[in-house]
Amino acid sequence: MEKIKVKICCGTSCFVMGAAQIQVLEFDPPADIKDKIEIEESRCMNYCHNTAAKYNRGPFVEVNGELIEEANFEKVVNKIREILDGTKD
Amino acid sequence: MTSSLFIDIGSYQVQKSGEDCFGDTIYAKKIPEEQRIIGILSDGLGSGVKANILSSMTTRMAMKFMEDNTELQRASETMMDALPICQVRKISYATFSIVDSELEGKTRIFEMDNPRYIFIRNNRLFDIKGREFSSPKWKDRKICVSQVNNLPEDRIIVMSDGVTQAGIGNKKYPLGWGRQGCIDFILKTLRQDPYISSSALAEKIVNEALSKENGAKAGDDISCMCLYFRNPRKLLIVTGPPFNEDKDREISEMVANYDGKIAVCGGTTANIIERELCLKCEIDKTSFDTKIPMASKMEGVDLVTEGILTLTDAYRMLKEGIDKNSNTASVRLVKLFLGSDRIDFVVGTKINVAHQDPNLPMELEIRRNIVKKIFRLLQSQYLKEISVRYL
Repeated sequence: MEKIKVKICCGTSCFVMGAAQIQVLEFDPPADIKDKIEIEESRCMNYCHNTAAKYNRGPFVEVNGELIEEANFEKVVNKIREILDGTKD
Repeated sequence: MTSSLFIDIGSYQVQKSGEDCFGDTIYAKKIPEEQRIIGILSDGLGSGVKANILSSMTTRMAMKFMEDNTELQRASETMMDALPICQVRKISYATFSIVDSELEGKTRIFEMDNPRYIFIRNNRLFDIKGREFSSPKWKDRKICVSQVNNLPEDRIIVMSDGVTQAGIGNKKYPLGWGRQGCIDFILKTLRQDPYISSSALAEKIVNEALSKENGAKAGDDISCMCLYFRNPRKLLIVTGPPFNEDKDREISEMVANYDGKIAVCGGTTANIIERELCLKCEIDKTSFDTKIPMASKMEGVDLVTEGILTLTDAYRMLKEGIDKNSNTASVRLVKLFLGSDRIDFVVGTKINVAHQDPNLPMELEIRRNIVKKIFRLLQSQYLKEISVRYL
């Protein structure tokens, strides 16, 4: 099965809003999703710059290309589990 | 050599075992107006307080005479007359080695009774014949004067006889470690680490000499002073996207053409350079930390970090001292700062809209302010040469 791609923005504003806590996924992920994810950090995904698009606040995380705004560890893990459950059926 | 060299001067000393103070004195001074550096090493007769007084007096007097460019014979006679006479040996005596360097590269060396200085060029010993003379008043004291024109990567090492006579009387070194032993050790050290700093080299030489002594106890004061002539080590700090997007190319070209180390501080800035120069930039996961975003690796660039948070943390460390046993992006940045002689800042002044969000922590500084704080500190406290350009 193809791994789920998780892209975490580590730009300044995402980082101060808590991206570092999401990066824990890389070093100490929950056991059930451990082998099923692939983490990529981005220096800045530019969502914060794009004021016209009216994005909410960071941290911004993309899970398989789907954007999560105001992300935190739970939100991201839940999203990953959701996708994993979806593929089982 | 027309371009100005940078002289890294460093020294290290160990006092004679059992004594309370150093019998040798090392004194170095920069005279910025004349672009000149004078370093003096003096070994006082005997050891302990008496030797300390003799050698301190000698270095201070010699420094004054050198600064004023006093004629050598007069200077040396005055110095010898002024030194107090030893009760035991009925002579007044302290040896000296004086290295007087101009940043253009001309160096004069005056020596009296210290082991001859060691001059290293191209990783080889360069033996320079000096001119000897003595004053009519003190016929047995010979002063040797030599002159060299320094090139980048030259080194001059002066030492007290504690180095060359280390281990004297041992089975292994009946006549002491010797000047040749010291030269061999220096050449070996330089082969392993050609860019070693002067203070590190001096410390190595002294410790090696100490290891030759019986039970590693210094039988005499062991002192060493090194000078390292080099082209200034340059560092380019690029931080922040330029106000005008047209300047993206200009900033990237600066990075491509810079002849020194380069650090890029800022995610967006790194993205610009990655795009313009078609370089690949990858996050370096060994620098993970919960307080500072990770560094990245980019070809041809020595360090890529996040901007404001890293710079703010680097400023803190420049003030309070570097965090030990840490490999965060900011520690790496501070190491780059400290290892450079000349630092060029290129600061993009575009405001990051996202940082103006009132919900973000107060510590998010404006880039221009934090850069200003950093370069002022580097200038005043670390004596670095700084240039700043805003784009």
